[in-house]
Amino acid sequence: MPTLETTRAAAGAVARRPADADARPPARRYRWRGRLAEVAPLIVLVALCLCIGALSPAFFSVRNAIWGVGNQAAIPLILAMGATPIIVMGSIDLSVEGVLSVGAMIVVLLCTNDSNAHDLGWWGPLLAVTACTGLGLVNGLVHVGLRIPSFMATLGLWFVGLGIGTVALGGSAVRVLDPRIRAVAFERVLTFPMAVWIATAAFLLALLLERRTRFGRYIYAIGGGEDIALLSGVPVKRVRILAFTVAGFFTGLAAVVAAAQLGQANTTIADGRLFTTVTAVVVGGTALTGGSGGVVNSLIGVLIVAVLANGMVLLGISPYVHEAVQGLMIIAAVALSIRRGGSLVIK
Amino acid sequence: MLKVDGVSKSFGSVRALRDVSLEIRRNEVVGLVGENGAGKSTLMRILSGTMRPDAGELSVDGRRVVLSDTRRANEHGIAMVFQEQSLLLNMSVAENIHLAQEKQFTRLGLLARRRMIEAARVHLAKVGLEVDPTVKAGELNFAARQMVELAKALALEERTDAPLTILLDEPTSVLEAKDIDVLFARMRSLKSRASFLFVSHRLDEVLAISDRVYVMKDGMVVAERASDASTVPDLHAMMVGRDLHSEYYREARQAPPQGHVLLEARGLSVQGIFRDVDFALRRGEVLGIAGVIGSGREELTRTLFGFLPQTAGSLHVDGAATMLRSPSEAVAAGIGYIPRERRTEGLVMDLSVAANVTLAKLDVAMSHGLIAHARERAIAADWIRRLSIRTPSSAQVCRNLSGGNQQKIVLARWMTARSHILILDHPTRGLDVGAKEEVYDLIRDLSAEGIGIILTSDTLEETIGLCHTILVMRDGAITARFDAAAGAKPTQVALLEHMV
Amino acid sequence: MTFDPMQARLNRRHVLGGAAGLMAAGLPSRLFAAGDKPTLVTSIRSLSNPYHAVWKVGADAFAKKVGLPNVTLVTEANSEKGIADIRAIIAKTGGNMVLNVDPNNTPDARPIVEACAQAKVYVVSWWNKPADLHPWDFNPYYIAHIEFDGVTNGGYITDELFKAMGGEGGFVALGGMISDSAAIDRRKGMMASLGKTPKIKLLDFQTADWQSQKAFDITSSWLTRFGDQIKGIWAANDDMGTGALEALRAQGLAGKVPIVGIDGIKAAVEAVKAGEFVCTVTSDPYWQGGIGLSMGLQASQGKFDPAKEPKLHREFNAKTVKITRENVDDYIKTEVQSHPDIDWSNLWDRVASPIAYS
Repeated sequence: MPTLETTRAAAGAVARRPADADARPPARRYRWRGRLAEVAPLIVLVALCLCIGALSPAFFSVRNAIWGVGNQAAIPLILAMGATPIIVMGSIDLSVEGVLSVGAMIVVLLCTNDSNAHDLGWWGPLLAVTACTGLGLVNGLVHVGLRIPSFMATLGLWFVGLGIGTVALGGSAVRVLDPRIRAVAFERVLTFPMAVWIATAAFLLALLLERRTRFGRYIYAIGGGEDIALLSGVPVKRVRILAFTVAGFFTGLAAVVAAAQLGQANTTIADGRLFTTVTAVVVGGTALTGGSGGVVNSLIGVLIVAVLANGMVLLGISPYVHEAVQGLMIIAAVALSIRRGGSLVIK
Repeated sequence: MLKVDGVSKSFGSVRALRDVSLEIRRNEVVGLVGENGAGKSTLMRILSGTMRPDAGELSVDGRRVVLSDTRRANEHGIAMVFQEQSLLLNMSVAENIHLAQEKQFTRLGLLARRRMIEAARVHLAKVGLEVDPTVKAGELNFAARQMVELAKALALEERTDAPLTILLDEPTSVLEAKDIDVLFARMRSLKSRASFLFVSHRLDEVLAISDRVYVMKDGMVVAERASDASTVPDLHAMMVGRDLHSEYYREARQAPPQGHVLLEARGLSVQGIFRDVDFALRRGEVLGIAGVIGSGREELTRTLFGFLPQTAGSLHVDGAATMLRSPSEAVAAGIGYIPRERRTEGLVMDLSVAANVTLAKLDVAMSHGLIAHARERAIAADWIRRLSIRTPSSAQVCRNLSGGNQQKIVLARWMTARSHILILDHPTRGLDVGAKEEVYDLIRDLSAEGIGIILTSDTLEETIGLCHTILVMRDGAITARFDAAAGAKPTQVALLEHMV
Repeated sequence: MTFDPMQARLNRRHVLGGAAGLMAAGLPSRLFAAGDKPTLVTSIRSLSNPYHAVWKVGADAFAKKVGLPNVTLVTEANSEKGIADIRAIIAKTGGNMVLNVDPNNTPDARPIVEACAQAKVYVVSWWNKPADLHPWDFNPYYIAHIEFDGVTNGGYITDELFKAMGGEGGFVALGGMISDSAAIDRRKGMMASLGKTPKIKLLDFQTADWQSQKAFDITSSWLTRFGDQIKGIWAANDDMGTGALEALRAQGLAGKVPIVGIDGIKAAVEAVKAGEFVCTVTSDPYWQGGIGLSMGLQASQGKFDPAKEPKLHREFNAKTVKITRENVDDYIKTEVQSHPDIDWSNLWDRVASPIAYS
């Protein structure tokens, strides 16, 4: 195709600005603020580390890096890897805690444990991840197939998951007696515990999915404008189902690590996981409205949350202050992630 | 009399308005024309109180006024009818007309609903709109909603002693010809009550309705003319700084189509909407569909892109009978769609230029099952060069680009997807003259490449100018078929006869 | 004392309800066709926590022993549902029943007791009641109200921990939810013991919201902050204690730093056996589930008259079962591997002290 005639270039760039250009802040300021919003989470993380490190030298010790931050961030990071694509899509997965309970339950009930005579070793984790992936698929199918908003569909599965966990465990805690399963969390490779390596692998996998696959591209298209994605021939339904399935997979992985780390599963094993996962994703700069952010943001978000929790213990801050700090953090993160001037009305 | 004196407004380094002065006298319709970005919208915002000028003064009847917000502007008799309509569709017409002005109907804190409805009826009568004030605004059609907006603006005369000035921002851009006539008739009859500032891209309309016209360019008023002493080419020349030449629609480049049929409809029908549509789109052909709202032409284009599967008849792509059940299937069949609403339907604004270009066919940028970013950038860079897309880089987020450039990216997407049939749904809506001409060039380029194009357009003029063949629809059926070869174009009147 | 009522109430799971609870909450009507036999009714919060799960086992064991129909109602932390279910079953049985209830919330006790007294149903309540509501105000039907003293238990495990530490050094403490009364009482007991032991220092106090995972994270951070200054870990419940234990285990410290907890959950009992826990304390929910019904049944059969019992038998803190290295083997044999053979006719052998109202 021949190059277009550009005789009108002389008419000047001013006339070429889009229809509502005069309502918009000038490009430079806009970009500057956009960049600030992009790097703000990283700045927060670095500042947090420096402040805590200055007040408590133990923060920068190897021991703290491994056990205080790395090991504590492992499970939240794995969960965030599943939650991020869904949030980028503009949806939400509330079933994390239910699915995680089921996964952890399967792991402990199938390995050597103190409740039944099974000794299936690695089949436990394998089946747990498979089952959680299946539950994620159910989430996706219910959400897409029955056209139920994601928060409703996944809310349902949250309770189904907890119900299954309650029935299977009978309300008691079942302990893991298989040393191979415990090794999933505690075996050390290059001084770091296995949990940290699994989380790292999960992050790299999620990064690959996001940056280099169709799936990764399409979740941004759907989050940025589902109609447009549809008009462009993006298989929106399939991508949605896949995103929830992927989330189920990561939740299953987290369940294996959680069961291994605590050496037991009970119905409360997943308590509070939903809140911390969504907090980490949002604090990292992925907007709940979808279309922006990503797994790198979530990594930073998870580290912010983990460093903050670790720092508060290191500094001996009163537990009365903890929750207030976490709440403030979310408000700050959400405030940063909103695109100013986009909408006058805040609902 | 509303007077603007030496008003300037800057956004950072961009000077949107430079020392603008103009006046709107009592009982006068004043036109305001200029390309996009000339400063019309900024001026409207300043007059309606949503934006403050950096320098300069506004005065009403010789008294200086400061319009710090919409309410203050209203007090000085200035009301705006918005381009994107500002009615709340979930509320009734009466509630909309009196929105934020309910105080006059409250007694002891309670709303006198009946009085409100009666008052609304009075205002609706002024604009000659016969609707029940209690129906929801969302139940009205677009043209009627515009009239409600006008009535809402006129309601102001009860609350202020100042002379009324109504700002109309592109009121005709989405109206059909019949509704435009109604609007103009109302404006003429309302001139005794109010003055109007009328902004439009359609210069002929501006000349038809206005007493005087101001022309803006690059943030300045470059000319003031009496309407009866001006012509469209005059205004156009002043707006863009050169003449509207006869080659506007690139007719010289219109080559006859080349035989092979790309898309054929036989007796295509959707129950209750349109019926028995037959046409054959050949390689390189531009097929226009003309018709008023409700004629079925919008639905026909939707069927061709898989939104609305046919209930009878058949559709043949490259000779093979095809049923398009979803846009995905249409894309797979080689059909591309350029929607009228670029912001909500055309581009994923937060994705990069490159990602938008490859969105419909990501395969071209994949290797070993993964996206190869270098290859994707190269593809995008190629299109940026070929279509003269003005963007700093292929990594630029589309939100920051202008409308014309966004339109080209949508096109690049379909070219990347190797679509050989393109549906252009009002492709020049909201573009300024310069950008429109680029689109016309593009359409000729596409046609020369052998791509078949189905076009629906905002104006008959554009349809006639661009198309090889024109189908005219009325009430769901094709009423006429025109051959529009270069140099033998039908007239607008000829088409209109079959439209209404 | 084991699983705290307060803890269960504040747990979101119970607030929102679980599938198992819903299943258990259905009222199987065939049970009410049992003729003249009184029905044994238990009302508890949920079946998804170990505490109430064992409670139900005790209730079932007692019912089996006396051969009477037996129904368990679950409130799912919903006060209205709890009260409505009780009223419904009173109506269905025509008052031919006895009730052993762990009210969902403090104010719930009054309408429950009033409904029972009106229908001449004998009732025993646990844990929650308003301070001005007393069993002797509803003679003879309101037999007794029983609690366990958090301050005493918190103090007891603290003393055991200090003994294991050799009477000196620093320790860290994991509290329950900040606003939870059980958490407050247990901490009070700990602080009292600490005040009597000048050579021992509390390095830090953090709340882990009764959760294992949070305790794991906090303990991991403590280990980097205090390192080997930590000579002991105090946990307000066993779940948090086991979380702390796993954090120690991860860094090769399990068994080297003594831990104490409260609740007597299985993992903690086994940790006591393994020498990783010093002790834990249980209110013995198995006994609670049976003894409350036994009191009601004996009173309804006229075997004793509640109105003639001393006030200490009507409103008291019950004894807890302490599990330490010394008795852990016996405890596992009789309580974990099988269920104990309790003499349900001995109603008052665990009366410890009168309830003090603050």
